[in-house]
Amino acid sequence: MKRIIELNNVCKSFGHTEVLHNINLSIGQGDVVVVVGPSGSGKSTLIRCINCLEVITSGELIVDAIKIPEEMGRIREVRLEVGMVFQQFNLFPHMTALENISFGPRKARKLSTAEANETARELLDKVGLANFEDKLPRELSGGQQQRVAIARALAINPKVMLFDEPTSALDPEMIGEVLDVMKNIAKDSGMTMVVVTHEMGFASQVGSRLLFMDEGRIAEDGDPKEMINNPQSKRLKNFLGHVNTN
Amino acid sequence: MDFQVNIIIDALPALLAGAKLTWYITLVGLAGGMAMGIAAGLGRIAGTQSLGAMPHGIFIPLTTALRYISSAYVELIRGTPIIVQAMFLYFAFPMLVKAGFGVERFRIDALTAAVITIMINAGAYIAEIVRGAVLSINRGLVEAGMSMGISRFTLLTDVIGPIAFRRMIPPLGNQFIISLKDTSLFIIIGVGELTRQGQEIMASNFRAIEIWSAVAIIYLIMTSVLAYVLKFFEKRMKIL
Repeated sequence: MKRIIELNNVCKSFGHTEVLHNINLSIGQGDVVVVVGPSGSGKSTLIRCINCLEVITSGELIVDAIKIPEEMGRIREVRLEVGMVFQQFNLFPHMTALENISFGPRKARKLSTAEANETARELLDKVGLANFEDKLPRELSGGQQQRVAIARALAINPKVMLFDEPTSALDPEMIGEVLDVMKNIAKDSGMTMVVVTHEMGFASQVGSRLLFMDEGRIAEDGDPKEMINNPQSKRLKNFLGHVNTN
Repeated sequence: MDFQVNIIIDALPALLAGAKLTWYITLVGLAGGMAMGIAAGLGRIAGTQSLGAMPHGIFIPLTTALRYISSAYVELIRGTPIIVQAMFLYFAFPMLVKAGFGVERFRIDALTAAVITIMINAGAYIAEIVRGAVLSINRGLVEAGMSMGISRFTLLTDVIGPIAFRRMIPPLGNQFIISLKDTSLFIIIGVGELTRQGQEIMASNFRAIEIWSAVAIIYLIMTSVLAYVLKFFEKRMKIL
């Protein structure tokens, strides 16, 4: 399998606190990597480093053959290949659902407004919000906002999608609709995905790989079903005891 | 006390001519002040994550220099009275040019000095308004834009700008009104604006009550117009 993301000895510090210690990781095209771990273990920092929202302190990051920090001038190219979905949705509050989605294609991919709107409508349909194109974010529920945010990230046509706890800010009854959209992306398009989540059901159903992070290190890395059903280490067992594994 | 309305009527043409000049100084000065304020306000946070920056290489010293220059400007202007700034520009600056460059007849006329003073003075305060508004924007929105590969310039014009502008309107209203009233200080460098006109008429007819009442009301009308225009903008923008 072709490698699309590679981290070699990556460290990340905030001030004097090192939150990622010597991470070595390589992710192949089409992988659906689920990242779990206790709070403060560096999961979010790890994926924020992948699309350069955080610049790594040392080591090397290679995304689609672009090397960071060697080619810092090409950060935007990295981001065009790596879409991101945030815990807090972060939709642009002054733009409608359609405008939020077509913004990236128009401005980052330089598509015409007509082309961008067409892409945006297709994506809105895909996330089940075909009739919501003129709604402002504040007129949508949390689940709907997150689905628009997923469509927005897909709209720039990235090779990799990162999800930073996409369902953690949602009411329980809305988690399912967002997970369904994510499952469809994983199954239909063969998209490479890195998902930070506590939804172990998602991990075992669509994950091709599970990373368990602890104290800034990748403590375990393996097949999701096996790790969840038959955890080897005490720390993983302990962690799984605290999350819902269905 | 006899309040004679015809005194005001007689004085009105001169007062309105003064009011016209007050408008001119205010509007041109504030237009320039907005430009300076936006530049200095963004300059003070150049190279920071609030603007989605990830400075590297040459950009690190460059943005640092920008921040220092902008901060120095804001602190210098906020820390000195506007009347001193006007006096300095009108009297001291030409002397400095003469001493420094040997230009003999360099002069700034009073009206230009007044406009530039408002520009520089309002710019410093507007810079802080701009900076505050940009800093108030949820960082997640900037990150969302960055994560899509949007250029920093587009991020500024299409995301940060519109949201920040909406939040800037109330404090901008304050600053616009303050600047309009500050033009009355230019009486000291001899600009024939509204206050000066009032002063001159008063000096010839000694009708202080009528003249200063009229002057006050004209200022009130002008500041109300400014407030109304800003309110109009505020209502028209999508609420964020």
